[in-house]
Amino acid sequence: MSVTLLYVEDDREIGSAVSADLREREYAVRWLESGEGAVEAAAGCQLAVLDVMLPGLDGFTVGQRLKRAYPGLPILMLSARASIDDKLQGLEFADDYLTKPFHPDELAARIEVLLRRTGAAEPSPLVLKHLIVYEGNNVIQEAATGREILLTGKQFQIFTYLLRHLGQILTKEQIYEAVWGEAYMEGDKTLMVHIRYLREKLELDPAAPEIIETVRGIGYRVRA
Amino acid sequence: MRRTGQLRKLQSSLLTRYLLIIIVALLFIPVVLPLSLAGYDMYNSWAGEKPPEEYALYSNIAGLEEMWHKEALELHGQIPEAISSRLQKLGRSYPLARMFWVDGQGKTRLTLTPDDPRMREELSTGMIPPQWSAAEAIAFMKESAKQDPLAIVAFVGDEMDAGEGFMVMQIPAVVTKAYQFKSVGSRYVIVLLVFFALFVAVSWLFFIGIRKRLLRLQTAMSFTGGAGIPQPIASGRADEIGRLEEAFNSMVAELSASRQREMEEEGLRKRLVSDLSHDLRTPLTVIRSHLHVLGKEALSQRGQESLQLMDVRIDSLSGLIENLLSYNLLSSGRMTLKLEQKDVLRVLRESAAAWYPLWEKEGFEAAVDLEAEPLYWVIDESWFRRILDNLFQNIVRHAHDGQYVGVRADVREGKRVIVISDHGKGMDSASESKGAGLGLSIVDLLLKRMELEWRMDSSPQGTSIVIGQAPERNLNKI
Repeated sequence: MSVTLLYVEDDREIGSAVSADLREREYAVRWLESGEGAVEAAAGCQLAVLDVMLPGLDGFTVGQRLKRAYPGLPILMLSARASIDDKLQGLEFADDYLTKPFHPDELAARIEVLLRRTGAAEPSPLVLKHLIVYEGNNVIQEAATGREILLTGKQFQIFTYLLRHLGQILTKEQIYEAVWGEAYMEGDKTLMVHIRYLREKLELDPAAPEIIETVRGIGYRVRA
Repeated sequence: MRRTGQLRKLQSSLLTRYLLIIIVALLFIPVVLPLSLAGYDMYNSWAGEKPPEEYALYSNIAGLEEMWHKEALELHGQIPEAISSRLQKLGRSYPLARMFWVDGQGKTRLTLTPDDPRMREELSTGMIPPQWSAAEAIAFMKESAKQDPLAIVAFVGDEMDAGEGFMVMQIPAVVTKAYQFKSVGSRYVIVLLVFFALFVAVSWLFFIGIRKRLLRLQTAMSFTGGAGIPQPIASGRADEIGRLEEAFNSMVAELSASRQREMEEEGLRKRLVSDLSHDLRTPLTVIRSHLHVLGKEALSQRGQESLQLMDVRIDSLSGLIENLLSYNLLSSGRMTLKLEQKDVLRVLRESAAAWYPLWEKEGFEAAVDLEAEPLYWVIDESWFRRILDNLFQNIVRHAHDGQYVGVRADVREGKRVIVISDHGKGMDSASESKGAGLGLSIVDLLLKRMELEWRMDSSPQGTSIVIGQAPERNLNKI
């Protein structure tokens, strides 16, 4: 079963080109030219891509209505307006934001990340070097032996947070605040200690980590 | 109508009210004092001891004097016996008084003493000589001046020249004083003090009321709400302070109206900018999607390269649009920055994290050294990110040859700064993608708005940009 996307775009040229591209990437696309009926059309969709400037109802209003009707539906906003206020307003309810002119590959990549993050896509096991991660079941296995790796609560939370932002570099403040839910204090070694233990469990050689990469001076990253 | 309005104004005036208090205070002396005395006397006559009834005959001293002089006049030219018998008759009418008369030769003819032994006792002080000398007469008059006993003296015939002597009526002080005011007692002083205290209290209340309202006004003026405009205050009475409050309220209303207009203008400009942005970006998006379709066709190597170049140009065009519109917003001064205290090292780290994949892809060596205590500056985070984006963008575009980007926290001249450096050929070298420097103009505008200063050192070995807090403005400097 393919993933169905709701796509609202009033510009026909862009709309047909993007729909065609997404269909080529094996998504089912429901393209609407205005926000009218978007809530009804979103039934059964796994993700919505909305243009901000629409005739009649604007993209922000449509997005807010969609979020109310389907709180779990990830929403990606596309905008040709790039002022910072727009970005903030959009991100209040939207899950991601892309500015025109976007590259079709980037749109596809963002859609994929969002689907993975919300678990809307078919949970395919994620292969990371020597590990297989079954995200839906919260299981991490060593590919060669099939041995399950057990993590503590905090280690698991850190690892999941990194996986949800696959390929993205996350600063120590971002990770700490997402996992512990409180403001990071400069000089706090808690996160470093947890990452060291996490690496001891996950990495083949904890001294030369391959799964959780340190980006010097910035933070950590798990690459796809 | 106007007159009634003026009258009402006058009635509600603070001046009128204060004048009223002053007038009441002035009335204190001619009205309140006698009133309080009368009140005190009434209280005394009601609550105090009443004098015996027979004393009432002697309460009107002026009347007694008149009566005595009338009698004296009537006795003019009478023989001594007739005078004595008249006095005896009078003595029966005024049994509490002592009466005597002295003839023209200074001889005391008749002395009538009261029957009441107490009265006799009271009158025993002044002895009456049988034969009067001048010295004795003066001594008697001197004694009488004390009014104890009260002596009413009249010449027989009511004139000295008649030479028929004089007649005297003495009334004991205990009888005459019974109807006089008793000396002002301590209770009366208390009543007076209470009145005075009341006056002070009313004045104090009057001024405390004014003071309170003035203070409230001052608080309202100095306390500004979230929009930086004081809140209007509830207007009270229609006096001078009330009118001041009204004036203040209308000033606040005008201020917020002008602030509103300013915000509307800002909103309009923002709308215009976003609409322009939309109109410029939409065709770019269409072009890009067509390029993408084209890229999937079978093309020669040159064709593919050409497509890629177009793609890169679309990106820079989009960046240019963004900068152009931002510059328009910023330079108009219509843009409000949300200034907050933020850890810039953290913002820098997050921005570097976002740029890192591109640096990696382009083969840059990224030297990020931000390990330091948090560095708090007052910035607008979104626009600060834009500054960093512009600087990093410049490095990727114009300093590609250096293959290096340095981001670090440093201390220069005793001040903590952030330094962004590259190993490019410097700003003076011609770069393929050199523009009008709009990006740096925006950086300059934004940093100034955040009260930060920056310095750029560019040499053929590289460029480094140092951002620090502007020195505190010295007002004494010309």
